[in-house]
Amino acid sequence: MSSADLLNQDFGSESEDDNFNPAPAGDSDNDAAGDSDDEANVTTKANNAQQRRRSSGRRNSGEEDEDTKDNGAENADGVGDEDEDEDEEEEDEDEEEAISGRPRKRARRDPRNQFLDVEAEVDEEDEGDEEDEEGEAAGFIAETHPDDLVDLPEGATTDDRRHRELDRQRERAQQIDAEQQAQLLREKYGRRTANTADPVTVPKRLLLPSVDDPSIWGVKCKPGKEREIVFAITKRIEERAGTKNPMPIVSALERGRTMLGYVYVEARKQADIHSALDGIMNVYPRSQVILVPIKEMPELLRVTKSEQLQPGGYVRIRRGKYAGDLAQIDDVETNGLEASLRVVPRLDYGQNEDVNAPMVDGGIKGDAKRKRQGAMGLTNAAVRPPPRLFSEVEAKKKHMKFPQQMSTFDKKHWQYLGENYINGFLVKDFKIQHLITENVNPSLEEVTRFSAGAEDGAENLDLTALAATLKKSTTNENYLPGDTVEVYEGEQQGVTGKAVSVRGDIVTIGVTEGELRGQNIEVPIKGLRKRFREGDHVKVIGGSRYRDEVGMVVSIKADQVTLLSDLSMQEITVFSKDLREASDSGVAGGLGRYDVHDLVQLDPATVGCVTKVDRESLRVLDQNGSIRSIMPSQISNKIEKRRNAVATDRNGSEIRTDDTVREIGGEQKQGVILHIYRSFLFLHNREQTDNSGISVVRATNVATVAAKGGRVAQGSSSGPDLNKMNPALMRNGANGNTPMAPPKSFGRDRALGQTVTIRKGPYKGLLGIVKDTTDSEARVELHTKSKTITVPKGTLGFKDPMTGQNIDYTRFSGSRGRGDGGRGGFSGNMGGATPGRVPDWSGGRTPLPMAGGRTPAWGAGAAARTPAWSANVSTARTPMWRQDASSANAESGGRTPAYMASNDGSRTVNPYADGSRTVNPYGGAPSVGARTPSLEPHRHILLLLARSLRLLPPPPPPTQAAAPPPTNPPTAPPHLPTPPPTPQAPPAIIAPMMPQHQEKISLRRLHRLRSQVMGTRMWGTPLLRWKGPRLRSFRAMRLRLLGAAGDAGLGG
Amino acid sequence: MYFLYELERVITLHPSFFGPRVKEYLTNRLLEDVEGTCTGQYYIICVMDAYDISEGRVVPGSAVAEYTVHYRAVVWRPFKGETVDAIVSSVNRMGVFADVGPLPVFVSNHLIPGDIKWDPNATPPQYTDNGDQVIEKGTHLRIKLIGTRSDVGSMFAIGSIKEDFLGTL
Repeated sequence: MSSADLLNQDFGSESEDDNFNPAPAGDSDNDAAGDSDDEANVTTKANNAQQRRRSSGRRNSGEEDEDTKDNGAENADGVGDEDEDEDEEEEDEDEEEAISGRPRKRARRDPRNQFLDVEAEVDEEDEGDEEDEEGEAAGFIAETHPDDLVDLPEGATTDDRRHRELDRQRERAQQIDAEQQAQLLREKYGRRTANTADPVTVPKRLLLPSVDDPSIWGVKCKPGKEREIVFAITKRIEERAGTKNPMPIVSALERGRTMLGYVYVEARKQADIHSALDGIMNVYPRSQVILVPIKEMPELLRVTKSEQLQPGGYVRIRRGKYAGDLAQIDDVETNGLEASLRVVPRLDYGQNEDVNAPMVDGGIKGDAKRKRQGAMGLTNAAVRPPPRLFSEVEAKKKHMKFPQQMSTFDKKHWQYLGENYINGFLVKDFKIQHLITENVNPSLEEVTRFSAGAEDGAENLDLTALAATLKKSTTNENYLPGDTVEVYEGEQQGVTGKAVSVRGDIVTIGVTEGELRGQNIEVPIKGLRKRFREGDHVKVIGGSRYRDEVGMVVSIKADQVTLLSDLSMQEITVFSKDLREASDSGVAGGLGRYDVHDLVQLDPATVGCVTKVDRESLRVLDQNGSIRSIMPSQISNKIEKRRNAVATDRNGSEIRTDDTVREIGGEQKQGVILHIYRSFLFLHNREQTDNSGISVVRATNVATVAAKGGRVAQGSSSGPDLNKMNPALMRNGANGNTPMAPPKSFGRDRALGQTVTIRKGPYKGLLGIVKDTTDSEARVELHTKSKTITVPKGTLGFKDPMTGQNIDYTRFSGSRGRGDGGRGGFSGNMGGATPGRVPDWSGGRTPLPMAGGRTPAWGAGAAARTPAWSANVSTARTPMWRQDASSANAESGGRTPAYMASNDGSRTVNPYADGSRTVNPYGGAPSVGARTPSLEPHRHILLLLARSLRLLPPPPPPTQAAAPPPTNPPTAPPHLPTPPPTPQAPPAIIAPMMPQHQEKISLRRLHRLRSQVMGTRMWGTPLLRWKGPRLRSFRAMRLRLLGAAGDAGLGG
Repeated sequence: MYFLYELERVITLHPSFFGPRVKEYLTNRLLEDVEGTCTGQYYIICVMDAYDISEGRVVPGSAVAEYTVHYRAVVWRPFKGETVDAIVSSVNRMGVFADVGPLPVFVSNHLIPGDIKWDPNATPPQYTDNGDQVIEKGTHLRIKLIGTRSDVGSMFAIGSIKEDFLGTL
């Protein structure tokens, strides 16, 4: 019936009259009471009205007839009376209009302003009211001409009309006698019963709009201004009612939030909309106008329950500095337009204030500039200060005067920069249209901010308010088939099951427990929650900041689930709706490019290990132990884990990633090495809660606890890695290419200025003079042609100054030491061992300068006893760096001592040849067993062997041999003609072996043994793995060498 | 729970080990490689015997040979709901870490009876009910496992002592 009403009101433009007139009250009542016949009427009535309206403009004369017709029709009904009234009114109006018509307007305007533009006509309507108000008094005085009475403002005329109306009505009422009146009243109010009995029902579809009805158009407007526009239209309708150009539209409505940005206008023609809405603010009829299909028209009138904001509930702020922030409703204004909210303030307390800005240009310009900056600052998220509770201390720092305490008894109420802060929160009025009230989805951690004060915020939350807010947003509560769910509301309360299918808001559950077990039931989503058990492995999926954390459920309280995160070992409390079951294995949680435990480069000098990955930021522990929160963009790159990175711990053992180490001193941190970066180790320890168990230590401060894969922790106990000492491996690998570098000689190169021959290369055989040298090369000026060439020093042949022999560079430069015995002797004394020993074996014979021959100096002939750098020798007596035990090169210095021994036994180092002359080791120095070769030959060999492998400390050199006889020339010729090659070392090993072990070791075996010792590989495996002290017998050694693993027991 | 599993493992051998004692070597290798490891599902406690060692197959392109070794092993597999005895390895505000042999177990303070409270001021820090129940490092605990998680080479579990007959021993 409402549409009919609208129609009625419209065409007559006497909406006010309706209100004024008491009688039509029955009209609406009728509507409610009796649909049936009244509604059957609707269309006709409307149609009549419409017809009438159409004709009204053109022919006024015919109006009367139509009205009577109307009356006739309506009198048949019981309602005739009211309609009669209306009709009478209409008549009146029509008459008026008929009189004045169009000229009326002109007449009215003319006297005031003849030059008024026609276009301004519409505007005039807008301003009509004001004009009227002003003009009323003025108009009456100035133009009281009776003719102008018709020109009186509408209000005046209608007033008059209404008075008359009222009088007439009273008369009429008097005319009707009591009986009639009773009848009337009975009809009016007694119809209820009559109607219910009325069998005739009108199908509802007849009420629906049809093609004959006016169409509805949707007109775009500024979002949020819909209501204002409708009010403006209403006003305009009122204004124009009864004027020459009444509003051509039927009705206007808006749909509020559901259709933001549209007002709906009901009109006959689209053109009517344009003329009706022209000049109304914020509505854009000139842009696209949408015709609402007839089918959808009823939908437009469907009532949606308006959002009722409750104090204590949560909303989000749509724009401004607090855009997106959660706010708690403190109070709602009764007008429903504003609400007072509690917000966690975002204040910078003037920190980011640009001090220079305001006065740059001065005046308005500068001001405007600042304003714009301010506006930018507000929208710019980067500048937006983080939400923190108000602190008056902070505020007073910069703005001494601003914070004002509002009341003395409530100390927490402050006013600062025009805003109120109560208990740290900003309390401010916001327009409701600037709030997001649906799908607020407050996350628990946001909400906990509002429960300030208590330590554990989750406990004293107003959970009912929160739950109410959450319930409103069921949209993003997503269930998947397979989720275990529980019905906590409604008929099926308490039922548990697995979601089978999800369709819209309905979840089908396969019940797993209780009486309904095995059945599938359908439950609306809003009474449903996910169900977990303690110990379940779950993943956070929802919009909380813990998103993608994986952990195990520790406790469950209603729909709050606490879980222990796998990665951070922290407990997290989230809503069950934000969880989903995860598989029992594997740690997911990779977010973006960086993951927890990754090593990332922060700047060229700093690296850090990621300890936490949030959605926008990472938490990083850098090498200095400080924790930083950084954006992923601040990371220059990720450092891949180097599996083969090695460091040494404080004991010198090698440590690699995945080893377990413990810090010595400090905090005694222990953990598995995640990364090795230079001298820093990043450790991970599950039992440590801070930094997700990650800590950083220096490699030099840790000791190995357990090496991965049982790699021996090579502490001081087990000695160095013997594999590296294997001469066989060394020879095989290097093949003599990388012998030990010659000892470095200092000072002027002796080769300079020498006449040399070139022994190799294209210039082979040529003579020249060395002009200049580097470490490895020499510039030689050739004698033959005047050319200076660069050749390696090794290819030069020098003439020995003493013998005239052609010698190579190394020997040539080395001869310097021997030529200078004094220095050698001196260095021998410096060795430290000599003075102590001297009394023991030489009885006061002071070492003479030429004793240098036995100093461990690098170049000395007696270097035999210096095990210093000749690690790869197989005989301990090799004196030269260039020792190749197998090489029988005549020039090799290796045999020099032997030769010397034959020449001058006093200086020999060969204990076998010369054992008798050695000081009795058991008498003087038992510790130096190495010097008792003749007594215990094979023990000696083993010791030598062991020493060559660096298992035993070298013997102190000076005690080795007897002092030289004083008759020796101080500068003994270092290179006498080479003695017959008597390869010394190998026989020295083998020879003593033979007699005693002949019965046990065959020659072949011995040969093999020898070749192994010499470095020839007979077996495919690394040899010489035994450890010195365990070599108690040859048998053991033999067994070892035979590769019998695990036969240690037999070795004894 | 302990099980006797029959498992198999492929061992590759360098040719230098080929010889009469290759079986012995393989067995040793097996023990070294397998005993005391965690597959992510269970811990291999002890290898009983290698009952079947396949013939070696030389891998084409390299000299090493592959042997498939079938062996029987005692394994320990922790289950949800299993009750185990553990030794507390560390105690903090959030709960208790304990070791069940090789398996680390976390007992959250939600899963500790309410009367046993965290006392950070004690030395060492402990959970205590101010009576005879004190949980500190080294305490023996009876724990019910309520959840296990398996990573690639390790396992982790959370447990509860919030039931009858659970707690300190």
